[in-house]
Amino acid sequence: MSDYKKAPEGLEVARTLDAKGLSCPMPLLRTKKEIGKINSGEILEVLGTDPGSRNDIPGWCARAGHEYLGEIEDEGFIRFYIKKK
Amino acid sequence: MSESIMNEKIKNFFKILCQTEWNATVSGIIVALLSILIMAWWRPWGAVGAVRNWGEWILYGIGIFSHKPGGVLFSSGSVIGVGFLAGAFVSACLGNDFSFKFPPPWELVKAVIAGILMGIGAAFAGGCNVGGMYNAIGNLAANGFTMWLGLVIGVILGLKYIYWEMEHITWGTSGGKNIDFPYALKIILGIAAFAAVIWGGYHYAGMNDAYKASLSGILLISAGLGYTMQRGRWCMVQAFREPHMTGDCTLAKSVALSILIVAIGCAVLKYAVPQRGSAVAVQSVLMDAVGDLDPEEIKDPDLADTVEDVVDASEQAVVVARRVLDPVNYVRGTFGWGGVLGGFLFGLGAMFAGGCGTGTLWRVGEGQIKLWLVVPFFGISNAIMVHWFKAIHMEGVGPTHVGSKLGKHIYLPDVLGYGGTIALIVFAMVAWYIIVDWNEESNKLIVEM
Repeated sequence: MSDYKKAPEGLEVARTLDAKGLSCPMPLLRTKKEIGKINSGEILEVLGTDPGSRNDIPGWCARAGHEYLGEIEDEGFIRFYIKKK
Repeated sequence: MSESIMNEKIKNFFKILCQTEWNATVSGIIVALLSILIMAWWRPWGAVGAVRNWGEWILYGIGIFSHKPGGVLFSSGSVIGVGFLAGAFVSACLGNDFSFKFPPPWELVKAVIAGILMGIGAAFAGGCNVGGMYNAIGNLAANGFTMWLGLVIGVILGLKYIYWEMEHITWGTSGGKNIDFPYALKIILGIAAFAAVIWGGYHYAGMNDAYKASLSGILLISAGLGYTMQRGRWCMVQAFREPHMTGDCTLAKSVALSILIVAIGCAVLKYAVPQRGSAVAVQSVLMDAVGDLDPEEIKDPDLADTVEDVVDASEQAVVVARRVLDPVNYVRGTFGWGGVLGGFLFGLGAMFAGGCGTGTLWRVGEGQIKLWLVVPFFGISNAIMVHWFKAIHMEGVGPTHVGSKLGKHIYLPDVLGYGGTIALIVFAMVAWYIIVDWNEESNKLIVEM
């Protein structure tokens, strides 16, 4: 599990999406929609609880060209960080 | 020094076996092998049989059904579901994926709609995505292809609905909660569930009743399926959805390969092989015992008749014993509009649920409350539909579904031979593989948000 990319602490985020409790495919679709609301170079933070997101989000970033900065484990959920291309 | 290396290797092994997400291709191959093994053991597996049994119990409990359903722990369909859930739970606990994931309220509304649609769809298609499609094509049944087609259409429409929903529905779409437990507790629970499955296997195996004793392998192999699918997050609705959503075709390719392996394995089990051990055994035990009898030498006509019947029956037994699995298994009378409509409704429902028949069950095993709600509605609606279809002979009568209104009952080797059937399935799966692979580059089939 330590293979998942860790994000650096203290990133300045432009927007936060609460996807807690959502299951596949909603976290990824919401992320896709939410990233449209920020500017290029800004960072989107996604809060999620679906274990599938740990692969889905980085995989989608690679496909869509956004930079996946990594994840931080919080109390009972995970924070994912994406820098818009 | 060497001790610490050993510790590290043991840790690495545990990590690979129980914690990291398994590669999709490997998971698909393991699922296919277990699907063949369970057929060799007794019968093909499906998810809806279990879910329907549980739905029947609910309907019986509230007084709508008057017949007592088969026991949850003593009917093979339900035991498949119990084993599958247990396997998924073990995997989710050991991999630290288990927690109670409470979705926002709107997702619960979707869960109810999803369950109802999936139950109705599975009734029309003669099974869920496993029994009606994956294992149906795998069992060389034509109806698997009609459900496949319906699933593609249903999933695309479901995706369009979700895009619409994201624009227009704001009520109850946030505020989900997660209740997690210490990892150490999950490991203990995982080991306890694993021990319970093993104990269950021994317990069944020791029973005198032939049916119950045979449930041991059903329980263990189903647990293996649940474990593998949760660990690989192997989800068939994702295989249908992802090519149209993100273009990713990893799971679609894996499902195509997996179906092909099941089909080849099933052809081996259903083909009548003269030299098969069981046939040779029947031949040597039975035919050698009755072969010397000549009815014409017997004076009493009644006795002569009986002896002739015994000789005929023995010859028949040799023929039957050449097959490991009766070809009629998982061939349904739904090759036609029933399969397409069923696949469509099921695919649409699976998009609302976020999981197909099996994807729903393994997500139940990792504590996704939304899917916990899908299961009872899926079970109740399927039980009512199947009950009604039986009453009006919707799928015809008998094992070959004579007079089915949903479509035709076609065992492909009866039409194409075994060689032609395998060639058709190879062609279909390779075509699917190439199309989704091409789409991943070209994005031509993506439904835009």
